[in-house]
Amino acid sequence: MTYLSFLKSELLAVFYRKQDTINALAFFLIVITLFPLGVNPSADFLEPAAGGIVWCAASLAILLSVESLFKEDFNDGSLEQLIASGLYLPITILIKLVIQWCAVIVPLLLLIPLFSQMLFLPWSIVHVLIFTLLLGSPALFLVGTIGAALTVSLKRGAVLVLLIILPFYLPVIIFATGAISAAQAGQDYSGQLAILGAISLLSLALSPGMSAVSIKASMN
Amino acid sequence: MQSTLTLSVSNLLIERAERLLCKDLSFEIHAGEIVHIVGENGAGKSSLLKVIAGVLSPLEGELFFAGERITAHRDVLQAQLCYLGHLAGVKSSFTVIENLALHFPAATEVQILAALRSVNIEKYATTPAYQLSAGQQKRIGLARLWLTNKKVWLLDEPFTALDTKGVTVLEEKLQQHAELGGMTLLTTHQKLNSTLHARELSLDS
Ligand SMILES: Nc1ncnc2c1ncn2[C@@H]1O[C@H](COP(=O)(O)OP(=O)(O)O)[C@@H](O)[C@H]1O
Ligand SMILES: [Mg+2]
Repeated sequence: MTYLSFLKSELLAVFYRKQDTINALAFFLIVITLFPLGVNPSADFLEPAAGGIVWCAASLAILLSVESLFKEDFNDGSLEQLIASGLYLPITILIKLVIQWCAVIVPLLLLIPLFSQMLFLPWSIVHVLIFTLLLGSPALFLVGTIGAALTVSLKRGAVLVLLIILPFYLPVIIFATGAISAAQAGQDYSGQLAILGAISLLSLALSPGMSAVSIKASMN
Repeated sequence: MQSTLTLSVSNLLIERAERLLCKDLSFEIHAGEIVHIVGENGAGKSSLLKVIAGVLSPLEGELFFAGERITAHRDVLQAQLCYLGHLAGVKSSFTVIENLALHFPAATEVQILAALRSVNIEKYATTPAYQLSAGQQKRIGLARLWLTNKKVWLLDEPFTALDTKGVTVLEEKLQQHAELGGMTLLTTHQKLNSTLHARELSLDS
């Protein structure tokens, strides 16, 4: 096994499991359509709430897609093979994560212009929403991976993952929606974007190593 | 050179789920040897193989390979290691060839097909693994033995689900590996052919 062959097989795995990605996106779509129906479909209400709605839906969709990141590999013995292969585990985790990120976030970003119209988000704000997703979503994936790694050996770990990592999602959601509200109010939002980027970088530094340790601990 | 290819384990203590599986376990395996780990169900045979492969950590004890201490970092061993666990990491959605390409990126399709022919699943090369029987899926993992040039084989119950012909073919492969100076550590509940000259290592206390 080499890093390259691992990368190829992960791409293949994402391709074969495309239903999971589609489910995460469908989930996102359902939240975004149901929310206006359930609360208030008027533009007056939706325009200021749009950023928050998109971000909550995106966080849940991301949570859904990272929660089972290692499940299949754990169950079919691939994770053992990976550990025994001598490849550096944090790097392989990062490879897995980048592929997963691309699979979920790229289609999401392509759909964002459509969603923002459904939520009456003005065109001049859409690019801010896209920036916050680009800068903030890596943190959500990276933090989610630690949760997924910690609970990989548990049969029903999904709820536990949620409880462990949700507190760490809050700052990302707060700063992302803060940036969008600032942009809507015509204020400067670069500070919030910088903080989002910083949170993602910090998670990038910590998450692969911590996930690797958690996975090794879960094998016992 | 061959004489340095020794795997030694000293005073190993393995504990799992608060149960002591082995204590003060020491043994050595040399190039060309086949060691058969025996013990009842739950004795810790699989756990021992995982500890050697680096999947689990021992609580106490040391491991050495080729003269180097590998207790903390298995790199030296893993560079020479082919570990087939109970489940050998066969991805059910992948085809047979795709499953092997992950482990042997440098192997040509001809080489992979030859390996598949040896384990008699050549016909299923492009079939998704989930469409194969348990024994055929086992053979996907075992096909790696025909492709690898690694010297240390750790095989956890490689014979389960194999038919008698498959068992013979695998035994021949193990013998050939030993003759070429490789070492094998395996667990199985079946009696190994005496021509393999396997040394037994018992985990029952
Ligand atoms: N995933 C696990 N988590 C906790 N304990 C385990 C796990 N797998 C095995 N064990 C414990 O370790 C012991 C040894 O298991 P194992 O090495 O698989 O035995 P063997 O392969 O000899 O049948 C068993 O008694 C079992 O209780
Ligand atoms: Mg076993």
